[in-house]
Amino acid sequence: MENKEITLLKKALDRQKKARQQAERILEEKSKELYDATLHLKETNRILENLLNQKSKQIDNAFVNIVDPYLIMDLKGKIIKMNSAAEEFLGFTKEENIKLTSLIHPDYKEYSKSCFKSLYATGLIKKFRPGIVLKNNELKFIEVNGSLINDTSGKIIGAQGVFRDITSEQEMKNLLDSQRQRLDIIVEHSPLGIWLSSSDKLIKANITMQKMLGYTEEELKSINPMDITSLESLQESKEYRKKLFNGEINDFSLVKKYLRKDGTHFSAKTTVNAVRNVKGELKYEVALIEDITHEIELEEEKEQLVKDLESSNKGLQEYAHIVSHDLKSPLRSISALTTWMYEDYKDKLDDNGVYNLKMMQDKVESMDKLIDGILKYSTIKSDNLDNSIVDVNEVVQEIKDIIFIPDHVTVKTANTLPTIYADRTKIHQLIQNFLSNAVVHIEREKGLVEVGCVDRDTHWEFSIKDNGVGIPKEYHEKIFKIFQSIGNKERSTGIGLSIVKKIIDLYEGKVWLESEIGVGTTFFFTLKKQNENTTSN
Amino acid sequence: MLNVLFIEDDAIETMKLNRTVSKLSIKHKITEAKNGEEGLEYLKSDAILPDIILLDLNMPKMSGIEFLEILKADPVLKYLPTIVLTTSENRADLLECYRIGIAGYVIKPLKYEDYEKKLASVFSYWENNELVKA
Repeated sequence: MENKEITLLKKALDRQKKARQQAERILEEKSKELYDATLHLKETNRILENLLNQKSKQIDNAFVNIVDPYLIMDLKGKIIKMNSAAEEFLGFTKEENIKLTSLIHPDYKEYSKSCFKSLYATGLIKKFRPGIVLKNNELKFIEVNGSLINDTSGKIIGAQGVFRDITSEQEMKNLLDSQRQRLDIIVEHSPLGIWLSSSDKLIKANITMQKMLGYTEEELKSINPMDITSLESLQESKEYRKKLFNGEINDFSLVKKYLRKDGTHFSAKTTVNAVRNVKGELKYEVALIEDITHEIELEEEKEQLVKDLESSNKGLQEYAHIVSHDLKSPLRSISALTTWMYEDYKDKLDDNGVYNLKMMQDKVESMDKLIDGILKYSTIKSDNLDNSIVDVNEVVQEIKDIIFIPDHVTVKTANTLPTIYADRTKIHQLIQNFLSNAVVHIEREKGLVEVGCVDRDTHWEFSIKDNGVGIPKEYHEKIFKIFQSIGNKERSTGIGLSIVKKIIDLYEGKVWLESEIGVGTTFFFTLKKQNENTTSN
Repeated sequence: MLNVLFIEDDAIETMKLNRTVSKLSIKHKITEAKNGEEGLEYLKSDAILPDIILLDLNMPKMSGIEFLEILKADPVLKYLPTIVLTTSENRADLLECYRIGIAGYVIKPLKYEDYEKKLASVFSYWENNELVKA
């Protein structure tokens, strides 16, 4: 190796030296830069920490100032921070490392999941209302409003929320719900159609109402209440509703005809009530609708029946009069002929002939009485009672004046008889029947018939007491039946007491007797006191 | 003396009236008609109008009430006093007769003696009345 070679090597070495020196210098520069950067970073960090501390402090202060429970949880649901209100409410401290999600009542798990999902999606949670189980196993309802917490790079690191105890609110709501439900059940199951509207717009129509009209609730909402009113009822309805609207009336009732969706009609009793605000303005109208088509039909049927009955009754009465006339006319002829037979031939008749003619007259007479009795019996009806004020003392006096009273019999009134409200003719008929029966059945030397009356509050109780022959027990019922005569007297038709019974029935009274053979008989009858102000039926 | 139109379908009733009248001191003139139509025929004829009419109610063909209605609708005949003589105690009949217009409503009693007395008093009453006289 020569000098040239050495020189070359030296030069190369020198170049290498220079390059290393340069590299060292660069390295040194970079190190310095690095050092500066680190310093800067440190400073920044310090500022940041300060800032964070400040914020934390602010939040802490906020924590103190939040009365409502407040907490922060991490992504796993672990509580990392909460205020004293939260601790107090939940019954846990932060140190117990409780996962908030574990407190949620099983019934609310699904609901919670979907709410959390939306929290992650939107960053917010509002009115999240789960049921939670506290440490003491108490179930509480809370309402949570919260949001996600992101770090500076936007990464989600947790969530924070304020919550409110809404247990009592919830209970109230549940109670209200159940009451509303009950109310709904009543409304929906009501046999009455119910219609609630506000300024002609339907708010609610129950199922009965919908069925009655054949419209759905939705359809009803689009029509005016007058659209379902038939033409005949329109005017009346409108007038009533005008008054209701003006505040002249607060409710009204009418029977109106409704128009169904299919065009058919039905009649319904409709009652409308106004609900007003404090100013008295009409707020709602509540209508209750009762389909009375069937009732109306029944009513019409009833009216027809009553009409038929009236005309057939009238026919019967007419018939009774005709029959009685047609029976009585020949009797009059027979009576006349018998009399003439006697008048014209009395010289030629022997005693037997005269006796037979007399017997004929008697028979004709008893038959005439029987016909009269039947006619009277068949015409005693409640619809021809002509009630007025009747002094029974006067009636008894009248009867005493017209009936045959044997000389040995005295008729007197046991006490002063009342003045009653009744049909005078009927009362006369009634007492006359008893009296004429009583006076003729006395065989003892001094006969006494006493008329008495006791006030029995709702009824008058009359009595006719005699000291006559008495009536055997077995006849006590029988004598009130038509055509039953138990007397030996030829003239008893047996219809008298049936007439009595019928009149007493009209006055909702009873008739009975007490009797002892050889001692006497007392007939009792009651008459219901009539109200003077109402016409008796 | 009264000129009487007696409208009655029953033969024995007619005998009763005639017998009764025959016993009275005044000999009244009785014209018989067997029913309403006959009565009207007589009234519309040239015969002198009666002073009073005694009218039965229950008769075949034209009833007493129908006769009465026609009579009272007639401008001349309506002045004839008409006394109903009937067995009917039907109050409806009585009211209807008074409504149309009658001069009396006499019910035939059962016994002939009573009938005689009643009719005698009816005749004596009308004897004492001033009559329209056609």
